[in-house]
Amino acid sequence: MENGGTRTPDPNKYMNPYLAGVLLGLVLIAAFYFSGRGPGASGGPKRVTAAVVEAVAPQHAHHSEFYGKYVNGPHSPLKDWLNFELLGVLVGGFISGALSGRLKLRVEHSPGITSRKRLLWALIGGILFEYGATMARGCTSGAALSGITVLATGGFVTMLAIFGGGYLFAYFFRKLWI
Amino acid sequence: MNEELIVSGRNIPGVDPYLTLWHWQIPLYLFLGGLAAGLIFFASLYVIMGKEDKAPTAVKWASFITPVALVIGLGALFLDLRHKLFFWRLYTTIRLESPMSWGAWTLMLVTPFSIIWSASYLRELVPSWDWKYKWLYTFEGWVIRNRRPFAWVMIVLATILGIYTGILLSAFNARPLWNTSILGPLFLTSGLSTGAATIMWLSKDHEEKMLFGRIDLLLITIEIFFIVHMFMGFLASTEVQQEAASLFLGGEFTVPFWGFVMILGLLVPAFLEVLEWKGYRIPAAVPAFLVLFGGLMFRFIMLEAGQITRYLY
Repeated sequence: MENGGTRTPDPNKYMNPYLAGVLLGLVLIAAFYFSGRGPGASGGPKRVTAAVVEAVAPQHAHHSEFYGKYVNGPHSPLKDWLNFELLGVLVGGFISGALSGRLKLRVEHSPGITSRKRLLWALIGGILFEYGATMARGCTSGAALSGITVLATGGFVTMLAIFGGGYLFAYFFRKLWI
Repeated sequence: MNEELIVSGRNIPGVDPYLTLWHWQIPLYLFLGGLAAGLIFFASLYVIMGKEDKAPTAVKWASFITPVALVIGLGALFLDLRHKLFFWRLYTTIRLESPMSWGAWTLMLVTPFSIIWSASYLRELVPSWDWKYKWLYTFEGWVIRNRRPFAWVMIVLATILGIYTGILLSAFNARPLWNTSILGPLFLTSGLSTGAATIMWLSKDHEEKMLFGRIDLLLITIEIFFIVHMFMGFLASTEVQQEAASLFLGGEFTVPFWGFVMILGLLVPAFLEVLEWKGYRIPAAVPAFLVLFGGLMFRFIMLEAGQITRYLY
């Protein structure tokens, strides 16, 4: 079988958002079916942090109320479904990028700012988000999506708070995007 | 004199109940040995077929990695020795029934040969290179004239080297996980696959990249077949072998093996190589890295798990 030339899908052609939304919903149900838990994101880095703290300062990790929850169990905090799920997200994202012709090493940012600025702000935003998600006991996926799937009140509140907060503060950071 | 009476035949620290003698040096060496075997195999194969121009990276450029991999691997083996200064004793005997003897002699031949192989291409890579002595030029000319017979010797040595990395473990008949003859072909296939992946990664020629992507895909398929059959063999065998397999089927090595070796190290790169074959643009570094990572993990896991499997309870 010979390859008949390269296949280059249009990188600007995205999936229909309604179809993507339904598929995402099915992903949530599949996650509950296969792992007995909804998907999450922020919990992954949290466990990695706990594992790093345990490696660097085991005494502190084991006595700390926060890290203790993760490091005093029978397994390493890294042996958690969220970490494997995140690994799967990376692999799946890569394959999806390849299939839609968007596989390119680049930093997506507004033409008004530099890549460096974008990365710096993304880092700050990421830290704040992880902090907020930890206080709220979950992020957009772990609390909002997974919560709403099981009709938990906390899920709806988190969703409203994240998107409401986003709308409230977007004005102040608009220069990073437009 | 302190007399020591051993009443039990099982007081063997480091060997019983678990083998705790081999550490990171051995799996690293097995990985690098397999990689070198793969690189030499493909370099020789394309010289023998007379298709050097179809696979310039395999024949010429990747061959520079081979001696480096072998020397690092041998360094790791040396570090593993308890009595380092007695390593030369391996070369005072030839024992056909000992895989270590096979390995020691194969390495003794393959390492200098791989240095000569890559050195004979050095002036193509660095045209201004000067060998300084006339006899080196004469020697280089002789090697270049005799590439084909040289390749025949190398391909045989590479096959022995690749198989031996598996046989080294399967000769341990006291460790049920290792004591299966499928390890020889399995390790050979895995080594060839890491070699093909490296060539695919290094190659700048699109055709060659695609060719080695397809070769690697075939090797990954064979490797998965061997792995499945290895477990089928264990499960159809005695209880100790079933116990050994259970380490991977629900036991402590389940996640590292199936997650990192099978999925990330074999299935994902195979899928990416299929996509590349179908014409999608995939940076070769990604499947190649995953194959190399999977190969390294596979050897670490097989070594760790094998050491804790046993016959006596």
